[in-house]
Amino acid sequence: MNPIDTWQIQSKQGLMHQFHIDMPLMIAVLLASGVSAIAIFSASNSNENFLMSHLISIGLSILAMVVAAQFSPLFYSRISPWLYAICLILLIAVFFFGETRNNATRWIDIGISFQPSELLKIAMPLIVARYIASGSIPLNNTNIMASLILVLLPTALIFKQPDLGTSVLIAFSGLVIIFLSGIKKRYLFSAIILFLSCLPFIWKTIHPFQQQRVLTFLDPEKDPLGAGYHIIQSKIAIGSGGLFGKGWLNGTQGQLDFLPERTTDFIFSILAEEFGLIGVLFIIAIYLFIVGRGLMIAINSDDLFSRLAASSISLTFFIYVFVNIGMTSGLLPVVGVPLPLISKGGTSSLTLMASLGILMSLHTHKRLIPK
Amino acid sequence: MDNFKTKQAQEAERSVFLNRIIFSSVAILFLGGLIISRLIYLMVIESDALSLRSVNNTLRTQSIPAPRGLIYDRNYEVIAENKPKFQLEMVPEQVNQLENSLLYLADLGILTRDEITIIEERVRRNYQFKSIVIKRNLDDREIAILANNRMLLKGFDIKSRLTRNYPQNEIYAHVVGYMGSISSSDYERFNPSFYTGKEQIGKSAIEREYEHILRGTPGMQKLLVNVRGRVMDQVEKDAFATGNDIMLTLNSELQKTAYESMSGRKGSVVALDPRNGEILAMISLPSFDPTAISLGLSQAEFDKLNSNTKRPLFNRAIAGQYPPGSTVKPMLALGALDMGIVDSEYFHTCEGEFKLPNYSRPFGDWATHGSVNAKRAIQASCDVYFYESAVEMGIERMSAFLKKFNLGKETKIDLASEKDGVVPNREWKKTNFKSKQNQNWYLGETVIAGIGQGYMLATPLQLAYATSIIANRGHAFKPHILKQIYLKDSDEILKNEAERIDHLIDIDQQYWDVVFDGMNAVVNEQRGTAFGVFPENSDIAGKTGTSQVFSMDKRSGDDVPEELRDHGLFIGFAPINNPEIVIAVIVENGGGGRVAAAPVAEKIFSKFLEIGGREVNESN
Repeated sequence: MNPIDTWQIQSKQGLMHQFHIDMPLMIAVLLASGVSAIAIFSASNSNENFLMSHLISIGLSILAMVVAAQFSPLFYSRISPWLYAICLILLIAVFFFGETRNNATRWIDIGISFQPSELLKIAMPLIVARYIASGSIPLNNTNIMASLILVLLPTALIFKQPDLGTSVLIAFSGLVIIFLSGIKKRYLFSAIILFLSCLPFIWKTIHPFQQQRVLTFLDPEKDPLGAGYHIIQSKIAIGSGGLFGKGWLNGTQGQLDFLPERTTDFIFSILAEEFGLIGVLFIIAIYLFIVGRGLMIAINSDDLFSRLAASSISLTFFIYVFVNIGMTSGLLPVVGVPLPLISKGGTSSLTLMASLGILMSLHTHKRLIPK
Repeated sequence: MDNFKTKQAQEAERSVFLNRIIFSSVAILFLGGLIISRLIYLMVIESDALSLRSVNNTLRTQSIPAPRGLIYDRNYEVIAENKPKFQLEMVPEQVNQLENSLLYLADLGILTRDEITIIEERVRRNYQFKSIVIKRNLDDREIAILANNRMLLKGFDIKSRLTRNYPQNEIYAHVVGYMGSISSSDYERFNPSFYTGKEQIGKSAIEREYEHILRGTPGMQKLLVNVRGRVMDQVEKDAFATGNDIMLTLNSELQKTAYESMSGRKGSVVALDPRNGEILAMISLPSFDPTAISLGLSQAEFDKLNSNTKRPLFNRAIAGQYPPGSTVKPMLALGALDMGIVDSEYFHTCEGEFKLPNYSRPFGDWATHGSVNAKRAIQASCDVYFYESAVEMGIERMSAFLKKFNLGKETKIDLASEKDGVVPNREWKKTNFKSKQNQNWYLGETVIAGIGQGYMLATPLQLAYATSIIANRGHAFKPHILKQIYLKDSDEILKNEAERIDHLIDIDQQYWDVVFDGMNAVVNEQRGTAFGVFPENSDIAGKTGTSQVFSMDKRSGDDVPEELRDHGLFIGFAPINNPEIVIAVIVENGGGGRVAAAPVAEKIFSKFLEIGGREVNESN
């Protein structure tokens, strides 16, 4: 049976809806992309070629989003096990045959070199949502255990690469679904206590450079030219932006190269330096709007799969934003998470946009059958 | 999927889900609020502090050294100036083939192979965009070679910096001084904010004394630098202010004449204008090249200069202490007359030696003078006459009177490290000798003090100053070298006013006449110790002196090793009435005052006449 038969277009939502595009989300994404272009141009010291390649990458990401929006939720629900299985296989392959760059084995070469963990950002919400939606909520203990295994198996593989940031975010995108599915509060508290009591053990298993990051986060001024450098320079950039910022292309921290990684992880500091508190509040507003819209889509969804997948995508999106701004402003340790929609980054922005596309799909493909 | 569930189940699911979404939204608002508070904290509360840190990151303040004021002699002849010195610099990142370029420079004779190795090492250690010095102090030939090969030496550049240049070099070395790098002790004397640390500071003499006038105010520029220190832009610039020029009282003609007439012998000449205390000439030999020192000597070169036993860096004019010898005789004659020990018509017969009771050996005279009065005793420099006067006077009265000529204390000239000299008396001996026995004063010491020997010491400047007190019949003007300051910012001229000091008042004029007659006779009359050295009937009064370095030695003339030969001294002034110039000359180990010192003075007097001093024979 053709999935399109059971999921039909609601034409009253407007023309774009017919193309499965959610206009509020689309506008927010375009706004964020505009901000991204402005920030990337500044961060690259007005390098036009760099900007061009970034614009192309934005274009491709938007295309990926639109394409992703065309497939129905049922399609996503159906392919999720396969997607998840492929991800697992690739992660295991990475574990054995992966490419090592900068002491981390995250890449695999299958024609093109890419990170399977990126694909998992899409696969994880879908598989957990599907698994849970196939039963009923609140979850029983068996289902909880099964869901946890689904989440923690790939997380552990990514954690071992090592890629602390991504593993935390992927785990979050799965765990949040278990949470939304009405897991009992006492389980939640037990889990938190279990996690906290495991911290010393986790501390021992993470790599020295990761330990260093956390220590540096606790006291960056201890090593201002070494490990603390990123955090200090980022805080200087943000703080010196003040209320109104130094103006576009006038941020000294960025323009004079004091700020490292400023086209990727630290792009937020560039924006804060040049556009000030007013500018970053505007950007945060865009993000909150996207998250809010995502949650609305989740609430308005008719089926459990859509609700869970949509809310997972939205909340994970928020966590991305929170972790990135938190780390650039010195609130969280530096874990290497890009700022969604704004940081330059090929596959990560591609998968992120695709997940927003899925969000659109969940919203624009509604069941014709009345409740 | 959902269609297999009952409506009730669906509703239950929905309510659980909504419940959790509300919880999540609260969490989102909480975390969002956390982020926003953090940003407000950084961007509002901590903004000023972090802005300052951002400025400190990127702004480098650099000071621009200011050119130093010039120094002129009294006729606007330049004594100290700033001259650009050229050095070859290179920016490594602009050089195409470093090794080939350096080898090419070696072929041109600019560098040696060893220097290339050192430069290559420095290039490796330096930022590639920062200029490094390849060779300092390029001479004209090297500049010409480099200019001709400019096209082949991309990335190399000739840069100039201002260094101090003294056109007369050795002649003014001691009185004008030299420049050097700022040391920590200099920072104690001067406000460090006036210096960039790169420039030099006056290290001695006038350059040091008037540092605060000569130095300019450094300019300042704020540069925008990137994280690697590369200069991106100039943000702000305060222009420097050139230092004030000064004019000295010195006269280059006299200074040169004095220097040359010393013919390379050790010693010192001080000439001053008794009417205002202006130093007209001040030299000390052996001398040194102040330009070379200011350019920067190597440690070895400096050590060599410093350990030279002839002490070229030492300014004998103000710090060299010599027994004044017979040059004190005019003063003591005046004292004897004033105290009533002698009168001008009192004649004493000199038999060539003077005996004291209880002294086995007599005190010798350098000649047998026969019957001499005060004038003749000065004229012929009779020792016996002054031995006797000294005994009559006693050491206390003698030292008190000599101190009225400012002997034994500094003249307070505008130069540092002036020495006091010594006018001994009982008190002086007590404080300056350790053993009880040596603290006693002996009559024999009074006797030799009468001819300026023994413990008595004076600097050439003190002698010149004392002579100006004689020339002015009792008063003098504080000696000084600074004539005027040309204030740069107000275009004003600040004159260094003469400061009159009365030393001897209430001396009968006729006693002065006796001294003047005696000193004139020294120059112009038969048996005068400097007679024949000067042209006939010169309008000059003078006194020779010979101070023994190695007393009791019976050898004489060329038998005596040079360093043990007597010092020759001469003091004098001209014209006799209304004197305009006073001269004191000391020639170390030069033999007697007549042969060594008087001819030097003669040359200076005649130069003074030639360049506009009054007609000397006028009054005679």
